[in-house]
Amino acid sequence: MSHNEQHKEILLELRNVTKHFPGITACDAISLEIEQGEIYAILGENGAGKSTLASMIFGLYQPDEGQIFMRGKKVHIDSPNKAVALDIGMVHQHFKLISNYTVAQNIILGDEPKKRALGVFPYVDIKSAEDRIEQLSKDYGLEVDPRATISKIGVSTQQRVEILKMLYRDAELLIFDEPTAMLTPQEIESLLTVIDNLRSQGKTVIFITHKLDEVMQVCDRCAILAGGKLVDVSHIKDTSPAKMAAKMVGRDIEFSAKRPSKQIEETVLSVQNLRVEDSTGFPRVDDVSFEVRAGEIFAVAGVSGSGQVELADTIAGLVRPKRGKVMLKEQDLAKLNVRKHTESGIAYIPEDRQSVGLILDFALDQNLALRSYYQTPYCKTSLLNQKAFSDHADKLIADFDIRCARGAKTPVRGMSGGNQQKAIVGREIEQDADLLIFVQPTRGLDIGAIMSIRKRILDERDKGKAILLISLELDEVMDLADTIGVMYAGKMLEVAPATDLSMTKVGEYMMGVTAND
Amino acid sequence: MNFAAINYSAIIVDGLSFALPLLIIAIGGIYSERSGIVNLALEGLLGFGAFTGALFVASTVSLFAVTSDVPMYLSFVLAALGGAIFAMLHAALCIKFMANQVISGVVINILSVALTGFLTSTINANIFGQASERFMLQTSPRWDIPYLMEIPILGAAFTRVYPFIFIILIVAAFAWYLLYKTRFGLHVRAAGDNPQALDAAGINVARVRFTAVAISGALAGIGGMSFAYSISTNFSPAIYMGFGFLAIAALIFGNWRIVPTFAACLIFGLTRSAAFQLLPVFDAGAAVIDLAMTAPFVVTLLLLAIFGKKNKMPRALGEIYDKSKR
Ligand SMILES: Nc1ncnc2c1ncn2[C@@H]1O[C@H](COP(=O)(O)OP(=O)(O)OP(=O)(O)O)[C@@H](O)[C@H]1O
Ligand SMILES: [Mg+2]
Repeated sequence: MSHNEQHKEILLELRNVTKHFPGITACDAISLEIEQGEIYAILGENGAGKSTLASMIFGLYQPDEGQIFMRGKKVHIDSPNKAVALDIGMVHQHFKLISNYTVAQNIILGDEPKKRALGVFPYVDIKSAEDRIEQLSKDYGLEVDPRATISKIGVSTQQRVEILKMLYRDAELLIFDEPTAMLTPQEIESLLTVIDNLRSQGKTVIFITHKLDEVMQVCDRCAILAGGKLVDVSHIKDTSPAKMAAKMVGRDIEFSAKRPSKQIEETVLSVQNLRVEDSTGFPRVDDVSFEVRAGEIFAVAGVSGSGQVELADTIAGLVRPKRGKVMLKEQDLAKLNVRKHTESGIAYIPEDRQSVGLILDFALDQNLALRSYYQTPYCKTSLLNQKAFSDHADKLIADFDIRCARGAKTPVRGMSGGNQQKAIVGREIEQDADLLIFVQPTRGLDIGAIMSIRKRILDERDKGKAILLISLELDEVMDLADTIGVMYAGKMLEVAPATDLSMTKVGEYMMGVTAND
Repeated sequence: MNFAAINYSAIIVDGLSFALPLLIIAIGGIYSERSGIVNLALEGLLGFGAFTGALFVASTVSLFAVTSDVPMYLSFVLAALGGAIFAMLHAALCIKFMANQVISGVVINILSVALTGFLTSTINANIFGQASERFMLQTSPRWDIPYLMEIPILGAAFTRVYPFIFIILIVAAFAWYLLYKTRFGLHVRAAGDNPQALDAAGINVARVRFTAVAISGALAGIGGMSFAYSISTNFSPAIYMGFGFLAIAALIFGNWRIVPTFAACLIFGLTRSAAFQLLPVFDAGAAVIDLAMTAPFVVTLLLLAIFGKKNKMPRALGEIYDKSKR
C-alpha cells in the first residue's frame, strides 16, 4: 500500500459483524473498512451473505454481534431511517417504487419539501422538487424526466430513480445490491458510467455483483465472502477474474462450458407464424416461425422486451396466441391448458421466479414437487405423502447443490435469490420432458452455479432433449447455442447456426440492424 | 301523461340532497381504500356516526332554545367523531391483528346494526323513560340562496337547500386538498400502491393506514347524519338501507378518485329523485315505489358492467402488510 492511500479517511468500518438466521450463520465475524471515495465490490456465491451484510449496513437487519463505525463513530443502525440520517443509501435487488406516482413524487416520498398556500395551508412543493431532481440528474448523468409516471418507464430508468432517491437525500455511501442483474448490456455500460461519476463526485459505493468483468471495470477494491466469512480483500489492480473466482468457490473455475452438439435429430417444437398481442392489441410476438430439434439448443437472443418472454410464455401455455401454431412433435398445443402442456412434455423455467416459478411461503420440498404433487408417489388416493416430498427434495438438494438452512423444510422466502433459482432449475430438469424452455436460467447466480447450470443444460441436450434458451446475456447465448435466433421488436430477425454468427453480428441484429442496412 | 306536472326543481334539490351525503361517504371509502384497506364497513360506519350524532341531540335538547340550530351543527361533529372511533375497530382488526379485511368489514356492519338498535332502545327506556327505537331530531332548516336561486332551472339547486350540503362541500373540498396536495395524502396513496416502498422511505405504514381508516369513519359519519336529517328526521335502524354499499359502487365507478366519484354520486342522486318524481306522472301505484327506490342500484349495476373493466383499483388493496417479509 502506498503512503498516499494510507491517509484516506475510513468512511465505514465493520468489526466482527455477525448475523444468525435459524439454522445458518449468514455473516460470520466480518470485519472490513471502506474508504471515502472508493468503489468497493462484494463478491460471493449465492447465499454467501452479501445481501445480509448490505442489509445490516442499511439498517434492515441488526447484527447479532459486532460493531459498525461510521466516520470513526460507533453507530447503531436500527432502521433504514437511521441509515439515511447517517447518509447511507441503498438500491435494493427489487425496486421499491410507487407505480402510479411520478418520478419526482417517488424521489421525495418521506422527505417532501413543504410550502404554505395563503400562509396557512401546507402543501407538497412538487415544483421545487422537480427542479432539484433535474439538477441532480444533470450533475450525475442520470437521464430521467421527473414528471414521467413510474409504470410507464423501463427498468433501467426506474433504477436511475432509485439512485436519484439516494442522491436527493445527500447519501455519501451508496449500496447497490446486484444492480446489473436485470439490465441489458447497453444499460449496464451506462450504469457503470454513472457509478464512475459518483466516485468522481466524491461518493463512496458498495457494489454487490456476480459479474467479475464489471468489478474489473469500475471497482477499486473487492471483498470476497464465502459461507458467511470474509475470505479475501484485494485491490483490483492486483487481482484477476480467475483469481477472484477461485477464491469465491474455493477451486478453479472454467469460464466456458461449450461443447458442440453430438447429433441433431427430429423436430420436437415447431412454431409457425405465431402472433401474440398484449391487452391493447399491440403485437408482442409478430409472425415468428422456427423449429427446435432433439439434441439442439436453440437460443433466442435479443435486448429485453423484444418479445422473447411472451414467446416462451405462449409455448409454455401461460398466454394464448392470437394467431399461428405451436406444435410439439405431432400435437397442436393451442388447445391444451398448462397442466396438459406439462404432461405433454414441456419443462419451463420462467423469467419471474418469485411470482411464477415458486410459492414463496411454501417449504422447499413442496415447491420442488409443484409439477407432480398430484401423482404417485406424492399423492395416493388423494392423500399427500410427506415422506415422498422430503425424500424427493433431499435428492434434488444434493444433485443441484441447493443451499438451504433447514433442508427440505426451509421456507423458500428465506432462501437467497440464487438458491431459489437453482431449486426451479432442478425441479424442471428432473421432469424428463422432451422440450425444456429456459428463460434467463442463470440470472442472479454466482459463476460457480452458472457453470454448473450451463453444464446441466448441455447434459440435457446430449441426452437428446430439445432446448429453447432465452437469455439476455450474449455470452451465455454464444456459449451454449447450436442455433441462434435473434429477436427484435417482436420479430425473429435472423435464424442461423451458431457457428455462422459472431458475437458482434448477433449484437447488431439485437439492435435491429439487418443485413441490408 | 302530463309532463308539465313534473317537478324539475324537486328532482334537482332532492337529487343533490341525496348525492352529497353519498359523496362524503364515498370519499371516506376512498381514503380507506387508497391506503390499502378494503372498506365494506361504510354502511356500519355511517349508521354508527348517525347514532352518535342523534344521541347527542336527544340528550342535549333541553339545553338549547327550541329554535336553535346549534345542536344540529354539533351533531355533525359528534357523528364524525363516532364514525371515526367505530372505524378504529376496523383499522385495529385489519392492521394490528391482520384480519381479513372483507370479513372485518362485514362484521363491523353487523355489529353496528345490532349495537345501535340495542343501545337506542335501551337508552330510550332507561334514561329518557320512553319506549322507542328511535332518537328524534329537529327538522333541519332549509335555505334559499339569494340571487343564485333565480337562475332558470339550475336555480333549483339553490332553493330549499339543507345546511349539510354546505358542510359536506367544505369538508369534501378539504378532503380533496388533504389527499392530493399534502404530505399525508401522498403517504396515504403510496400505502395503497406499494407499502414496502413507503416503509423503505421511512414512513410508518400502519400509522398512515390507521389514520386513513379513521378519517373514512368520520366522513361516513357525516354522511350518515345527513341522511338522518334528510330522509327521516330521526335516527333508527331504518337508516341501514344499503347507502354505504351504494357509496362503494360510486367510488369504484369513480376509479377511487374524488372528482369522478362526485360525478357518479350526482348520477345516482338524480336517478333516484327522478324516479320518485316521475312515478306520479306515469300513474304508478304505491307498490312500484319500492321498485323505483332501486333505480340507483340498477344504474350502478349497468354502469359497473359497462365501465368496470377499465377500473384500476389501488395495487395493494386488501394486502396485509407484514414488515418482516422481504
Ligand atoms: N430473512 C431470512 N430468514 C432466514 N434465512 C435468511 C434470511 N435472509 C437470508 N437468509 C439466509 O442467509 C444466507 C445468506 O443470504 P443472502 O441473501 O445474504 O445471500 P447472498 O449472498 O445475497 O446470495 P445471492 O447472491 O443468491 O443473492 C442464505 O443461506 C439465506 O438462505
Ligand atoms: Mg443477494
